[in-house]
Amino acid sequence: MTAALEPARAGAVAGRATFAALAVRETRRFARNPVFLAAAGLTAYVLWSGKRGTVTDINGPNTVAAVFFGGFGMMAAFWLTGSMRASEPVVGVTPVTLPARTAALCAVAIVPFGCGCLTLLAFLHFHPIGDPVYGAFSPPARIAVLVGQIVVPSLGGPLLGVALGRWVRFPGAGFVLFLILAGWVTLVMALTLARPDSAPVAVLRLFAPFALFTLHTDVGVTAWRGSPWFFLGWQLALCAIAVLVALLRGAKGRLRSRIIRALGIVLAAAVILLLLAGTGGFTHAVTT
Amino acid sequence: MAGPVLRAGAWPAVAGLSGAAVAVGGCGAAFPAAATMLLPVCFALLAAAAALTLDEPASPVVDVTPTGPARRTTIRAVALLAPLAAGALVMLAAALRGLALPWPAAGLALAGNVLLGFAAACVARTRTAEPGAAAGTAVVLVLMTPILVPQVARWIRTFPAPGADGPSPDPVWWTVLAVCVAAIAVSAGDRGLPRWMTRFS
Repeated sequence: MTAALEPARAGAVAGRATFAALAVRETRRFARNPVFLAAAGLTAYVLWSGKRGTVTDINGPNTVAAVFFGGFGMMAAFWLTGSMRASEPVVGVTPVTLPARTAALCAVAIVPFGCGCLTLLAFLHFHPIGDPVYGAFSPPARIAVLVGQIVVPSLGGPLLGVALGRWVRFPGAGFVLFLILAGWVTLVMALTLARPDSAPVAVLRLFAPFALFTLHTDVGVTAWRGSPWFFLGWQLALCAIAVLVALLRGAKGRLRSRIIRALGIVLAAAVILLLLAGTGGFTHAVTT
Repeated sequence: MAGPVLRAGAWPAVAGLSGAAVAVGGCGAAFPAAATMLLPVCFALLAAAAALTLDEPASPVVDVTPTGPARRTTIRAVALLAPLAAGALVMLAAALRGLALPWPAAGLALAGNVLLGFAAACVARTRTAEPGAAAGTAVVLVLMTPILVPQVARWIRTFPAPGADGPSPDPVWWTVLAVCVAAIAVSAGDRGLPRWMTRFS
C-alpha cells in the first residue's frame, strides 16, 4: 500500500511545486503591469491628498480602491490572461493543465488584495471609525462596509479579469465590462435615490460587485437599507464564482464535474446572500 | 478601393460597442439623476469603438499594397460616423427627455472622446496591426479616471455636468482636438511598415 501511495504523493508534491512556481511568475508579471502600477500610485496619491481637507462624505475616497485595484486590476488581469493566448500552441503541450495555469493566474489577486488591506488601514487612519461620516451604522457594520468597498473589490476585480480572459476572446472585453459595471452601479444608485425605502431596489443596488451604503446631503448622512455583513458574503460568493468559472475552462473528467457541482452550490449561496443583504440591515433609510 | 478597406474593418466590435453605448446613454436619458455619470460612460464606450476602427488583421498583406497609410486612415475614418451617430442619438434622446445639459459643450466632449480614441489607435497602428484593444483600454482609463475619482475631477473635468465644481472641460477638449489632429496627421503620414515587420524586410 505504501508503494502504491508513494508515486501519487510525489506527483502531488511536484504539482504543488509547479503551481507555486507558476503563481510566483504570474504574480511578478501582474505586479509589474503598468496598469496595476498606475492604480497603486493613484490610490496612494488620492488617499494622501484626501487627508489635507475636511472630509464630509466618504463616498469619494472609499470608491478609489474599488476603481483602481478592482477595476484597473480586472483589466490588468484580463490582459495577463489573454497575453498567453498567442503562446497556447507551445504552452498547451507542457505537462501543466489549463486549470492549473488558471489557478496560478488567480493567485495574482493576492497582490491587489494585500494593497486593498493596506488601503483599508490607511483609510481608517485618516477617517477613524467613530467619525459621523459613516452614518447610523454600528462600528462593526462600518468596518464591514469598508471591507466590502475597499478590500473585497480589490480581490474580486482581478479574479473577474482572469475568468473573463479565459472565456471571452474579444480583446476589449476588460474595459467594456469595467464601463458597464460603472454604469450599472450608477444606475442602481439613481434608483435608490428615487426609492430609498424599497426592498427590491435595495436588492437591485446590492446586485453588483460594489455598492454604496451611505449618502451625504445637506440634512446629514443617510444610511441606506441593506446588511453590510451579508453583502460581504455576496461579494465573496462572487469571487468564488469567478474562480470556478475561470477554472472550468479546459477542465476535464472528474475535475469538471466537481467544479460544476461547486459552482451550483456557490450560485445558490450567492442568491441567498444577496436576498439577505437586500432585506437585512435597516428597514428604511436612516438619516443622522 | 474604399469599399474593400471599409469592409475589412472590425465592424462587429465597432457596432457592438456603439450599441452598448446607446444602451448606457439611453439609461442616462431615462434616469436624469444618473445622466452625469452614464453619459460619460457612454462617450468612453464610443471612444473605445473609435479606437477599434483601425484594426487590420490582414496587416501583413494590406501594409504592402500601393494604398498608402494616409489614404487607408482617411477611408477608415468614415467608420467614425458610427460612434458619432450613436452619440448624437443619445444626446437627442436626452434633450427630448428635457435633460438640462450644456449641449454645445457636450457635443464638443463627444467629438473629443471619439477623436481621442481614433488618434490613440492611429499612433498605436504604427507599431501593431490591431491597436484597438490596447488603445481602447488606455483611452477608457484616461477618460474614466476623472469621472470616477473626485480628487482627480478637481483638477480636470471631461464632461460638462451642470453645477459641478472644478474647471470647465471645454479648454481640455479643444486642446485634445488640436493634439489629436496633429497626432493623426503625423502617424498616418509617417507610417510605413509596422516595426515588427521591418525585421523581416
